[in-house]
Amino acid sequence: MLELKNANGGYGKRTVVSDVSVKFPEGEITSVIGANGCGKSTLLMLCAGLLVPTSGQVMLDGEDMAKLPRNEAAKRISYLGQIKNSGSITVRSLVSHGRFPYLGYPRRYTAADREKINEAMELAGVADIAERNVSELSGGQQQRAHIAMTLAQDTKTILLDEPLAYLDINRQFELMELIVRLKALGKTVITVMHDLNLALIYSDKTAVMEKGAVTAFDTPENIIRSNAIETALGVKAEYCSEAKQYFFSIKHYTNNHLTYG
Amino acid sequence: MKANKTAAVTAACFAALVVSAAVGICAGTVWLSPWELASEFFTEGLSQTERIVLYIRLPRVIAAVLSGAALSVSGAVIQAVLANPLAAPNIIGVNSGAGLFTVLCAAVFPAAARLMPAAAFLGALTAVMTVYGIAKKTGASRMTIVLAGIGVSSLLNAVTDTVTTLFPDALTGVSAFKAGGFSGVSAKTLFPAWIFIIAGITAAVMLSHDLDVLALGDSTAGSLGMNTGLMHFVFLAISALLAGAAVSFSGLIGFVGLIVPHMARKITGTSENSAVIPVCALLGGAFLSLCDTLARTLFSPYELPTGIVVSYIGVPFFIWLLIRKKGEKHSA
Repeated sequence: MLELKNANGGYGKRTVVSDVSVKFPEGEITSVIGANGCGKSTLLMLCAGLLVPTSGQVMLDGEDMAKLPRNEAAKRISYLGQIKNSGSITVRSLVSHGRFPYLGYPRRYTAADREKINEAMELAGVADIAERNVSELSGGQQQRAHIAMTLAQDTKTILLDEPLAYLDINRQFELMELIVRLKALGKTVITVMHDLNLALIYSDKTAVMEKGAVTAFDTPENIIRSNAIETALGVKAEYCSEAKQYFFSIKHYTNNHLTYG
Repeated sequence: MKANKTAAVTAACFAALVVSAAVGICAGTVWLSPWELASEFFTEGLSQTERIVLYIRLPRVIAAVLSGAALSVSGAVIQAVLANPLAAPNIIGVNSGAGLFTVLCAAVFPAAARLMPAAAFLGALTAVMTVYGIAKKTGASRMTIVLAGIGVSSLLNAVTDTVTTLFPDALTGVSAFKAGGFSGVSAKTLFPAWIFIIAGITAAVMLSHDLDVLALGDSTAGSLGMNTGLMHFVFLAISALLAGAAVSFSGLIGFVGLIVPHMARKITGTSENSAVIPVCALLGGAFLSLCDTLARTLFSPYELPTGIVVSYIGVPFFIWLLIRKKGEKHSA
């Protein structure tokens, strides 16, 4: 169970996330939405323990994350950020790095590690390009290779920062289906999402962020009923049950049918 | 299959090192064939040729091999840590620190040329630790390390120029250091440095997997459970130890540290450091030893500064590698 208690966080003297208290329900998919620069990524970094809160706490299974050894935290919580460096290595090597928290010294992989690596590559759909060099792949393939690395880490909680970036539309749906499958495996997934429609369709809970604060944390249905999205993003969301999609309209132009979907 | 390729490339580089070192021992003002040498060594007493080999050529070949290996591994480590293909030991202040301390040594103790290697080594370490100290204040990210390195280097170079202006005599002792080379090397000057070099290369090889993880970026490495701040320090220290030890007896031969890691990545076809670092050590040693042999034999009895030969051979080879593999993306 991951929980933020009055957490503040930022870079240097700049506070980006202010006074956030959220309990992320176990075994569910939580999406984090909000305008650019509202602190979504910073919130996720706090959750991952990559940023220590300036005040307040991040609790992982009832323990203060700041006091947890990094290696121990990495066995329970994985994080895929937006910035990715891989250099010129094979997909298999990259995915293998997901096993780093479990490696003793010298850094040798066991048969169990290899199995996890293969499973992760199968799940993320990169098993057929395992021996290819990551630097020669398309943006979408690179993204999936990194997702496979995160899966190889085999943690109960998975944090994803805009995992749909660089993916073609079919791959976006595939990844969301993968996230649903991870949930079925008992994982807790917390993901920052840019695509509101996919965020609302697939998540159990949605956190809406505005200026560093979480202004709403509820099921997508209740979020839609409230005006949280409207105040945070300036659009009105409506669910079309026939299309099974959400449609968005800018508040002032609804009569001109300027809609986003 | 991949492991086989790495093993084959490593073996080929080892062979190149052996050949390069053997040529370095045989070649000189007088060419000595390997058979001649072998038979000499089985006779009683020390002959003239044996003295030449033991006291002049052998230390020099060992110095070139150690220095080439150290600078190359240092460059590979620093390029991986900073995710910067243009990084070399000089970017974290090794050269400017070693330069300043050498000049200071020459100015304050003009008679004690023996102290210069130690001064260069201390200077390199001091500069790198200053760079790291400044960068750490702002979180020791890759960018702050590079910027702090450039800043500190500029300042140290300014101080060096000030000292040489005020003590012009110090300049003469320093010019050889700046040009770089192995002409004055003996077994004595190598003494503490070779231990640091062997230790540094061993550490780099043993930590190569961790270096790969760190190269994924701070947030990825951190989320995989690595203490990135500590590992930045560890790898900078290894890099500084290697480059500082090399610079202490070879002077400023910086270019090796930049190009050999790139050569190693090109020929192994990977940026995985478990493959790249051993190849760097072998290739760097072979390459610098070859350059030094050419430097002292090409225009014998005149001797070229080794750094010049490094540029003449290294750059065309490097450009050829770049062109041959164009179209393939090989980032650090």
